[in-house]
Amino acid sequence: MQQLHTLYRHRQLIAALTARDLKARYRGSILGFFWSLANPLLLLGVYTLVFTKFFPQQAVDPYPLFLFSGILPWTFFSAAVLESTSSVSSNAGLIKKVMFPAEALPLVVVLSHLVHFALAIPILLAAILAFAALGKFTISATIALAPVLMLLQAIFVAGIAMTVSSASVLFRDLRDIVANLLQLGFFVTPILYLIDNIHSRVLRALLRVNPMTPFVVAYQDIFFFGRVPKPSDIVLILAYATASMVMGFFVFDRLRDTLAEAI
Amino acid sequence: MADYAISLTSVDKNYRLWGRRSQFATLKSALLKRDLRPSPEASVAALKNVSFAVDRGEAFGIIGRNGSGKSTLLKLISGILKPTSGRVAVNGRIAALIELGAGFHPEITGRENVYINGIMLGLSRREIDERFDKIVEFSGIRDFLDQPVKTYSSGMYVRLGFAVAVHVDPDVLLIDEVLSVGDEEFSARCVAKIQEMKYRGVTLVFVTHQLDQVRNLCDRALWLDHGMVEAVGDPMRVVDAYLQEVSGAPASPPPKVEEAPEKATESSIDEERWGSGEVVIKRVAITDEWGRELIALGAGTGITIDLDVEARVPQDDFVFGLGIYHADGTCVYGTNTEVEGYVPGKIEGAGRVRFVMPSLDLVAGTYRIDAAIHTRNGRAFDYRRNVLRFVVGSRVHDVGVYRPKHEWKFDGPITFTSVDALRRNVPAPIAEAIREADKK
Repeated sequence: MQQLHTLYRHRQLIAALTARDLKARYRGSILGFFWSLANPLLLLGVYTLVFTKFFPQQAVDPYPLFLFSGILPWTFFSAAVLESTSSVSSNAGLIKKVMFPAEALPLVVVLSHLVHFALAIPILLAAILAFAALGKFTISATIALAPVLMLLQAIFVAGIAMTVSSASVLFRDLRDIVANLLQLGFFVTPILYLIDNIHSRVLRALLRVNPMTPFVVAYQDIFFFGRVPKPSDIVLILAYATASMVMGFFVFDRLRDTLAEAI
Repeated sequence: MADYAISLTSVDKNYRLWGRRSQFATLKSALLKRDLRPSPEASVAALKNVSFAVDRGEAFGIIGRNGSGKSTLLKLISGILKPTSGRVAVNGRIAALIELGAGFHPEITGRENVYINGIMLGLSRREIDERFDKIVEFSGIRDFLDQPVKTYSSGMYVRLGFAVAVHVDPDVLLIDEVLSVGDEEFSARCVAKIQEMKYRGVTLVFVTHQLDQVRNLCDRALWLDHGMVEAVGDPMRVVDAYLQEVSGAPASPPPKVEEAPEKATESSIDEERWGSGEVVIKRVAITDEWGRELIALGAGTGITIDLDVEARVPQDDFVFGLGIYHADGTCVYGTNTEVEGYVPGKIEGAGRVRFVMPSLDLVAGTYRIDAAIHTRNGRAFDYRRNVLRFVVGSRVHDVGVYRPKHEWKFDGPITFTSVDALRRNVPAPIAEAIREADKK
């Protein structure tokens, strides 16, 4: 509770730093924020090609929309978590020289990636409209649930980000470990395929314990399948978001006093 | 509200030393060792049992060698670091100038960085709006405000950082060795700003190697040596003790007071005296043109301040200094042979230094004198504060400290019926007494 209060007290700082982050990133680049979309769009193109032409999958159609609605939340998660590993250590100057609430740093990373995510949503909507106009897709009102889901995911990501940002100050190799785990994670999250199409028991168990699974499935539900997420997924999402936040604050608090010295 | 601004109670700070093997602590190695808590191989004590308090509105200097724990102390006060044991308490909003412009982002403009830096230092967006013009004015880099900070010179960087930091309006300002940056003009502006803040009652804590700043700006000073408090108190004394130590001179107690003739000290009971004692001031006296010693003198009389000095060890680096202070502490005048260009040759044995003033143009009041002999870098051989007190009487009831030589002249149709001879020539209370007597 107290940590939340601290964060609230520093809301202007967090907002200003997020704005700075976004501005600094796109200043001097012609395409601006569209660069942040380049990676998911490229992935989208490649996987669409692979799974509609090379290894055709009939289960979901139109496949690009299915893929798009899962790739965006995954990109948000993986980019924010990966970048937050270095968010504290790369701002050593702030931690060592200014009285600075260090937990703001991973949160700023999460927020700026959340902004990227939000800016990508209109593109997904445009794609949905295009497919609908071609008569290949029917739009559902469940899309309106997206903001709630995004907020819950942001809370989940923030908890992870706080954990890895502080822990990576002590363990310098955490960034490499996280990067590799994220690459693996992409494939054990049902983004490219439907979880129901997996028959291996081991794989299914792996998919079930992956905390990103219920989030991605819920996004696919509201954007692609046009249905409200399953209650079991909703419960898991709420549980993961809460647990992640608790863990984030706990780890960060434990390491906070060491940060200024260990960086 | 407590009346102190900062209070440290037996504060210890240990830094953990991460040995060579665990310096690049990796999760892999931690897992292999089956111990997730990285264990430091040893720790080094940066501060040992440090206790002191700084009053509200006080200017407090911290001096000491490199690595003596000064910056650690400042970081503990600011809350960047936590003490290993002991208690640090601070009252009021605190701003730390530990590194100017820390947190400036090179890619965005000066204007945007001012806002972010201000918010980091605890201002709200609206408060920055209000101060923005003052900040820009102070920094003196208005023309470059909309350029990315990466194009700034290091001087411009620091100017902007300082400008933001001093406009935060803190109750406590911590300054770590930052006044030495920037060009002459800007340094002077910084010092002036800091004096203004001091005047407004801001508590200041300095860490600096510029001992003159400690002497000039600080009310008290603390000398930190190997993490321990070596001395706290009058900045002159503390700086001097520090210089003695640094110059490698044996830490000798100040020359004993009884060595000085009684006459000089009897009129100034509150004398303070310190120094290494190779050269001493044996006697200080004010004499008139006939060599008579005076304690009370009339305004405008010619006087000489005599210093009887003796070099017990011959010296080739020495400066004689004198300061005249009003009873309220205002420095009326201070000078020394160094600032007036006297290059020292040699002093050995006894001698007399005579400071001749053809007329002492002071207003009535009580004044005191500091006399000193020190080396050119300020290490005192003998510093005698309040060595002599004297009273200036005046027939005229003018006010202030300095009375320039003057007369009134009137042109045109302005007349005075007479000049009251009594008023002109006799001190006012006496004139009143004479008038009273005349009436009877």
